[in-house]
Amino acid sequence: MHVQSDEALVAYLDGELDDPERRDVEASLDADPALRERLAGLAQSSELVRAAFAEIAEEPVPERLIAAAGGGKGQGAAEPHQAEIVMLKRPARGAGAPPRRNPLGFAAAAGLFGLMLGTGGTLIGLTAWHMGQPTDRQIAAAAVTDAWLDNAAGYYKLTVKSGDNMLIDVPASNDSDQALQKISQNLPQQMRLPNLKPWGLTFKGARLLVVQGRPAAELVYITDNKAIGPLGLVIGATTEPDVAPTIEQRQGVNLLYWRHHGHAYALVGASNIGWLWGIANDIAWQLDAI
Amino acid sequence: MSFHWKNAEAPPQAAAETGTQGARFSDQLVALLPRLRRFARGLAGRAAEADDLVQAACERALAREHQFQEGTRFDSWMFRIVQTIWIDQLRAREVRKEAADGAEERLGSDAPVRRIEARLALAEIRSAVELLPPDQRTTLMLVTVEGLSYKEAAAVAGVPVGTIMSRLARARVALQQHLDAGGGVTRSAKNARAE
Repeated sequence: MHVQSDEALVAYLDGELDDPERRDVEASLDADPALRERLAGLAQSSELVRAAFAEIAEEPVPERLIAAAGGGKGQGAAEPHQAEIVMLKRPARGAGAPPRRNPLGFAAAAGLFGLMLGTGGTLIGLTAWHMGQPTDRQIAAAAVTDAWLDNAAGYYKLTVKSGDNMLIDVPASNDSDQALQKISQNLPQQMRLPNLKPWGLTFKGARLLVVQGRPAAELVYITDNKAIGPLGLVIGATTEPDVAPTIEQRQGVNLLYWRHHGHAYALVGASNIGWLWGIANDIAWQLDAI
Repeated sequence: MSFHWKNAEAPPQAAAETGTQGARFSDQLVALLPRLRRFARGLAGRAAEADDLVQAACERALAREHQFQEGTRFDSWMFRIVQTIWIDQLRAREVRKEAADGAEERLGSDAPVRRIEARLALAEIRSAVELLPPDQRTTLMLVTVEGLSYKEAAAVAGVPVGTIMSRLARARVALQQHLDAGGGVTRSAKNARAE
């Protein structure tokens, strides 16, 4: 046994010693209480440093950094967003009938909105609404929803990027009601779970979010069909007036956004806006949210 | 407005959806932001400076995307960019002395430290890290906070593994001395950690 250097003790704590070196340090520790105390002090300081910096990684990431990492020039230079309002239609179906699934209709919608998607993420529409000048109310509503949509898009990207982990707070279980019950406990309203299985979308679980300082939920749906999913449905409370479904593109993902009776909804995904339109139509019908 | 990252430790992964290589690169970068911010905070100290550092690193990384070699650690590559920019800034603005002076003042008085609330104690520890010389600070952040191996940290810092060992030992000993001198800091930090 010999006097152990600080380098050896620190490397021992970090697991960086090979077996003979480690045994040597351990023999010294067994024989020397002062050395053990020194090692404990070093271990404690390391632990405190980790704790001191752990919370930084949990902090919200400023949007300017998200923009910079995405190749943008920062928040101040962000492109102005232009929204397109569409009308969701309550499917005409009788009680107990399956949801409307019309592949031809959705394909047509997909084609239509594909044409509406211009370059650089700007939506170019030719609907009657868009051909006229937006009203002051529409402009004001767009300003209010701007941050909300950025949050919804950001959360969706984060969820997708996490891969299989999906950052799920409440994973889907055999009992979907139980999952919804759990997520609802943290929200100001009771959640309902849209069934999107007919679209080939499986409920993966739910995340609790804070959007503009208010609790919200992101319901995550996955599918093997990359043309459709994964999808995130963000539902939050709002005091803003109702707004018709609005198409947006933020941070490279598409959103279909609307507000109804104190709830804000955003269906978010990388899929064609036509698919989003069809699925959102179904969701709105199921949730009685239109 | 901002996003809350719930799983900052998750390794960056390529986006599942189809996209260009550039888009995947950006996605990895976005996923790494919480750790980059933490690393930068350890170097720069102040939050605003750290975020400026991360932003500059992101811009440089995107401009030099072609230099990143697939199969190598993306986080190490980014840490190296952050570190390089920070050192450039230190040389240009001589902020090191300012930061150390400020931290010294904050740690200099025992009485406020003993009354400090638990959460503030963690800030005190970060201030103590600020007092370390830049090379020790970088090594401490890479190994102790970011969890890189000595070999990986040596690659990021561009020094031999033995240098990493000695820098790390000096950093931890100095830090322990600061914490011991702070008295209540360690106790309060324990409370903060337990919260």
